Amino acid sequence: MTTPNHRPAGQWTLIFRRFKTHRVAMWCLYLITTIYVLSMFASVIAPYKRDAISLDNAYTTPFSTAPDGSYHVFGTDHLGRDFFTRLIYAARVSLTTAITVTTVSTLIGIVVGLTAGYFGGIVDTITSRMIEFISTFPTFTLLLIAGSIAIQNSDDIPIPALLSQTIGVIMAVNEREGKQVVMIMVIFIALGWTGVARFVRGMVLSIREQLYVESSRALGASHLHNIITHVLPNAMPPIIVAYTLGLSGALVAESALSFLGFGIQDPTPSWGNMLSFANSYMFNYPWMPLVPTLPILVCSLAINYIGDGLRDALDPRVQSEVTRAKRDALLKAIRDRSAAS
Amino acid sequence: MATFLIRRLIQMFLVLIASAVVSYVLLYFAPGGPMTGLRQTQQSGRNKMSADDIARIKQRFELDLYIPYRFTRWLVGFPAGPVTIAGQTFLADVAAGCKTPGMVRLRYPDGRTEIIEEGCEVPITFADLVDRRTSRGILFGDFGLSQVMLRDRPISTLIASRLPYTLQLMGASILISIAIGVPLGIYSAVRQYSRFDYAMTTVSFVGSSLPTFVIGIICILVFAIGAKEAGFIYLPPGNAVSNKDYVIPYIGEVIASSTLDRVLHFIMPLGVLVFVNIAGYSRFIRSGMLEVLRQDYVRTARAKGLRERTVVLKHALRNAILPFITLLAGVMAELFGGAAITEAIFNWPGLGRLLVDSIERNDYSVTMGLTMVSIFLLLLGYLITDILYSILDPRIRLS
Repeated sequence: MTTPNHRPAGQWTLIFRRFKTHRVAMWCLYLITTIYVLSMFASVIAPYKRDAISLDNAYTTPFSTAPDGSYHVFGTDHLGRDFFTRLIYAARVSLTTAITVTTVSTLIGIVVGLTAGYFGGIVDTITSRMIEFISTFPTFTLLLIAGSIAIQNSDDIPIPALLSQTIGVIMAVNEREGKQVVMIMVIFIALGWTGVARFVRGMVLSIREQLYVESSRALGASHLHNIITHVLPNAMPPIIVAYTLGLSGALVAESALSFLGFGIQDPTPSWGNMLSFANSYMFNYPWMPLVPTLPILVCSLAINYIGDGLRDALDPRVQSEVTRAKRDALLKAIRDRSAAS
Repeated sequence: MATFLIRRLIQMFLVLIASAVVSYVLLYFAPGGPMTGLRQTQQSGRNKMSADDIARIKQRFELDLYIPYRFTRWLVGFPAGPVTIAGQTFLADVAAGCKTPGMVRLRYPDGRTEIIEEGCEVPITFADLVDRRTSRGILFGDFGLSQVMLRDRPISTLIASRLPYTLQLMGASILISIAIGVPLGIYSAVRQYSRFDYAMTTVSFVGSSLPTFVIGIICILVFAIGAKEAGFIYLPPGNAVSNKDYVIPYIGEVIASSTLDRVLHFIMPLGVLVFVNIAGYSRFIRSGMLEVLRQDYVRTARAKGLRERTVVLKHALRNAILPFITLLAGVMAELFGGAAITEAIFNWPGLGRLLVDSIERNDYSVTMGLTMVSIFLLLLGYLITDILYSILDPRIRLS
């Protein structure tokens, strides 16, 4: 006999329990968290100063001692800056950018998609047309153009000082660099929310027609109550999966943009711009591009595995591959948006 | 069907115009352009430019016209001069721009002075436009002149020189990846949870989660640099042809710009794109097939005693392939636009790299031309997919 006050585990506890059974995803979660937390203590961990240039030490191979006797775990770049130090700082920049961009654009997408899907009518028509219109643009081209404009006119574009200072503190960069990163983020968010909005709208449209929403409305519940207690919780699982995928999409898109020279600019380290420099020295120093490649490779794989694990954890009823199909379509949609090929 | 087509074409046209406006405005605010370097020479004493010089250069790039006129001239080649109807000319003295702006000297209370441009001293009228070279308008296929990359040469030349490379790379990679990716996806769905399926899903998972530039760089490291060091057959790391002869172990001497040379250069960028696309396509087909194979009509088909081959290919695949068609909507735009990053890594002289270069060098007329064409092709792709979809899936009616 069960005790009368035994409470069944909540939805989220169950989800977390199921997620834990996905070993790889769990390890990936630990890994990403560790990298991000470590990067927050960059100033403590990093053996050298971020931009400390010493030309005598340039091109030191990994695991070796530079001409002046200093030791560099991952070697040094073409200006003799310590790779390990810059990688840690870059993790802070790249991951924070990806997280901020995805979070903000998901939030905007949820609000817009919910409003459009739940209330329908004129709001829905206008937002759907707008989303459709934005998605006819070749996103990657727009990203490149916007990035190039933002970088070249960085002094003229007004960004609230408080914002760039906050970002500067989080990323351990100065205010000027912070401003540049903020601009890149704004561009990503401006182009990124439409995917989420469309996706949320579609889901809300089907949830809205469910009997439980209808009966709740019949009982006299307000729209706000309905949205918060019925629509949002049911739409949440796919949104979380989309969020994870969007995270890896943003990470990859940011590094691709910086790799091409239109994203975060040197000396602010980002994995993408470190790779773009290393890439031009790869014929003389083949190990060099491997150093920034490694974190990009590890993080994008890890985030995708977490997404995989989350998907399995969030939707145990539908063991079928239907969710997988949806997810793949979504993945494709996100991928097309970043079009980083 | 006819009404649908007409409505869609009108819609498409409107979207195209709207995106032209947006991209034009965006690039209008962009920095750089032909005047940037000139401002610096203008300030240095020795080559000081006269007002006439500036006016002439501005005229060459149409910078002296007002934005709406510049836009319509770029879009449809209008106004190209005064309008003549039945022998009578109209609008001859409407101002379309400003040849010499008025200079106003501002004196601030703290003693500083500054000269700003305000008003217009000598306007440009429609009648002045007659002597200018006017593009026929991008909507009619005239892209105008390149400003930086090929100074004063038509952009169409630039595009024509790059197009073959992009078509070659994208065409081959898309065809090969469909030819390999679709069967692989079907096979791994039919043999779900087999060893092959596990291997396939893992590889395609990795393939679709890694960014292309990471795969590309690793390929260059392994197949170009590593293989060369080790004395194996290696592949040239970049460009579409080499400019001097080279020797490859086991193959012998490769003569520059011979077919063999071209093939060797082609393998790596092609391989990377094919790998990435196969990963995406096979996952997509696999999940679609798994969903369909579970349906009742497939069970019915099996129960009727049909051969497994017929069940899979005739009953299941036909339905599973439908969503795949939507995925192909972007293919035409992709064919044209190329893969900017892959082309950048392998130094492939295609349109994707042209786009990146044009943005980097602030040659915005080129950027806009390329953007317009890709938007057009994307819209066309959507239209074609919608029509194809209705042909293949009788449940869907176009209306």
